[in-house]
Amino acid sequence: MGNLYHNKTAQWLTYAVFFAGFAVIPMTVDDSFLLNQLATYGVYGMLALSISLCWGFGGILNLGQGIAFGLGAYGMAMTMQMQTQDESNPIPPFMLNNSLDHLPMLWQPFQNTYVGMILAVAAPTLFCAVFGGIMFRARVSGPFFAIMTLAMLSAFYTIIIDRQPYTGGVNGLTPPSSLQFAGYEVDPYSPTAYWVVFGFLLGATVIAKLITQSSFGLVTQAIRDDSERVRFLGYSVAGYETVIYTVSGLIAAIAGCCWVMLVQYVSPAQLDVGFSLSMVIWAAIGGRYSLLGSILGAFIIQGAQSYLGDTFLATWLLILGGFFIIVVRFLPNGLASLVESGLGLFAAKRGPASAEPNGDAKPIPAE
Amino acid sequence: MDLGSLLNALILGVSIASIWLIAALGLTIIYGTAGVINMAHGEFIMLGAYSSYMLQFYLGLPYLLCLPASFVIVALVGLALERGLIRYLYNRPLDTLLATYGVSLVLMQGVRLIFGSDPKYLAVPEMFQSNVMLGSASISAFRIVVLGITAFLVFALWLLFYKTRFGVQVRAVMQNKEMAASFGINSGRIYMMTFALGAGLAGVAGALFGVLAIVLPTMGASYVVQAFLMVVVGGGSLAGSVVASGVTGEMQSVFAFFTNDTFARFIIFVLIVVFLRFRPQGLFAQAGARR
Repeated sequence: MGNLYHNKTAQWLTYAVFFAGFAVIPMTVDDSFLLNQLATYGVYGMLALSISLCWGFGGILNLGQGIAFGLGAYGMAMTMQMQTQDESNPIPPFMLNNSLDHLPMLWQPFQNTYVGMILAVAAPTLFCAVFGGIMFRARVSGPFFAIMTLAMLSAFYTIIIDRQPYTGGVNGLTPPSSLQFAGYEVDPYSPTAYWVVFGFLLGATVIAKLITQSSFGLVTQAIRDDSERVRFLGYSVAGYETVIYTVSGLIAAIAGCCWVMLVQYVSPAQLDVGFSLSMVIWAAIGGRYSLLGSILGAFIIQGAQSYLGDTFLATWLLILGGFFIIVVRFLPNGLASLVESGLGLFAAKRGPASAEPNGDAKPIPAE
Repeated sequence: MDLGSLLNALILGVSIASIWLIAALGLTIIYGTAGVINMAHGEFIMLGAYSSYMLQFYLGLPYLLCLPASFVIVALVGLALERGLIRYLYNRPLDTLLATYGVSLVLMQGVRLIFGSDPKYLAVPEMFQSNVMLGSASISAFRIVVLGITAFLVFALWLLFYKTRFGVQVRAVMQNKEMAASFGINSGRIYMMTFALGAGLAGVAGALFGVLAIVLPTMGASYVVQAFLMVVVGGGSLAGSVVASGVTGEMQSVFAFFTNDTFARFIIFVLIVVFLRFRPQGLFAQAGARR
C-alpha cells in the first residue's frame, strides 16, 4: 500500500470533504458580517490557489499576481460605479472633482454591465498571456521572472496613482451601491454573495486539479523540475509556461472581481508589493505543491491575522515573519508536506513489505 | 525648449543616480557574489538610519562618525543573519527571496515595537544644510555629500575587488564556487564576508537617506524594488550597477522634467522590463555566472 497522500481518489475525497464543510457554513452562520468575512477568505483562497498552480506546478514564481487581481478588481469596480450613474448624472463624482467634463474612452465600455464584467476578467488575462508569452519566449525564468513581475507590478501601481482623474488615484474607487446583475442586487453580506465566491473557488479548484492531473500538468511539472531537459525532448517550454501563467492570472482576475463585489472598494493597495508577496506566503506556508494546502494556508494566515491579530496587535507581523522564516528554512514544501510524511509513516507501518521501488529518491509529490 | 532647465534636470539626474546607486551597492555585492536575492535589503537601509539616530540621540555622536558606525552595526546584523539563516539556503535562490522577506517583516515590526511608528529625524552639520549653485541649478549641499560618498564607496569597492587578495578570492568564488574551493578558498567564509559587507553598505545608505527623507520603520520598502532593478539591469556587477543607476537616474530626471515624478517612474519601470526582455543577463554579465 502506497502513501495515501498520493492516492488520487483520496485526494478528491479530501477536496469533497473540504468543500462540503465550506458549503455548510451559510446554513449555520447567522452573522452576516462573519459570512462576508469568510467569503473574502474564499477570495484569498483563490489567490493562493492561483499561486500554487503557477509556482508549485509550473515552477514560475510570480511576485506580481497583484496585477491580475488588481486589474480585475478595478474592472469590476468601474462596472459597479457605472451602474450607479444615469442620464442626468453620467460621470462619477471623483472625475468631476478632477475637472473631467466627459466620460473618458477607457470607461465607456463599462457602462454596459456585461461588457464591463467580461473586460474585467479578459483584460488581466490577456495581459498575462501577452506579458508571459513575451517573457517566456525570451527564456526569462526563475528569479529573473520574479523580479520582472515585481517591476511590472510597481509600474501598474505608480500609473494608477498618477492618473487620478481616470482611476481615483490613491483613494481608489468606492462604488456607492452593491452589484446589480441581471436585475438582481447582490448584497455583499447575503448568503448569495457567499455562494458566488464559493462557486468560483470550487470551479477554480476543480479545474486546477484536473489540469495538474492531465498530461499538460505533467509537462509543466517536468518543466518546473528541469526545463532544459523538457526543451530537449521537443516540448515548447514557453508555450506551456505561458498557458499555466495565464490560467493562474485568470483565476486571480476572477478573485479580484469577487473581492470588489464583497467589499465594494478598490485602491492601489491591492497592487501593493506587500499584498502580492503575502499571496506567495500563503501558498508557501500551506504548501505550494498542494492546491488544497495553499488554500488552507491562506485561510490559516488570514484567519489568524483577523483573530490573533487583535490580541497580538503589535507583534503579529513579528510572529508571521518568524513563522514564515521557519517554514522556508525547515519545511520548504509547506505544512502539506507534514501531512504527506505523516501519511507516509502510516503507510510504511501498514505494509513494510511493499516498499516503493525507488523509496530512497524523494519524489516531489504530484499533489 | 528651455535648455537651461533641461540642464538643471540633467544635474539633478546625477544626484538621483547617486542615491539609487548607493541604495543598490550592497545588493549588487550580495546578489553578484552569492546570487542571494535579499528582500531584507530595504530593512538594512532602515536599520542604518535607526543606528545613526540612536548613536546621535543617545551618545551624541557627530553625524560624520555615524556613517562608519552604521556600517559596522548593520554589517554585524548582516553577519548574524548570514550565519543563522542564509547559509542554509545558498542552493535554493528562490527560497532566499522568501526567507529574507520574512526577515524584512520581522525587522520592520521589531523596529516599530522599539522605536514606535512616529518619524525620527537626523541632525546634520550646518554646512550641509545650505544650497549650492551648480551652474544655474540650485542643489542642496547634502546631495553633493551623498554623491561624494557614493563615488568614494564605488572607488573603494573597486580597489577591494580588483586590487586585493580578498577581491581575487571573491571573484573566483563568483565564477566557479567548486573550482575556487578546490584551490583552497573557503567559499563559505567569502559568502559570509560579502554578505556582511553588502549589509554594511546598506547601513551607510540608510544613514544618508535618514537625512534626505524622514526615518520610519517602513522607509526601506520604497528602496528595495528600485535597488533590485538597478542590480538586475546592471547584471550583478559593480560597473553594471553604476551604469544602470546613472542612465536610469538621468532618465528619471529628464522624464520628470517633461511629465511628473510618478509618471517618469512608470516609464522607467516599463523601459526596464522591455530592456530585460532583450537582455535578461543585464548590461555587464559576469563571465560564466549567468544565473
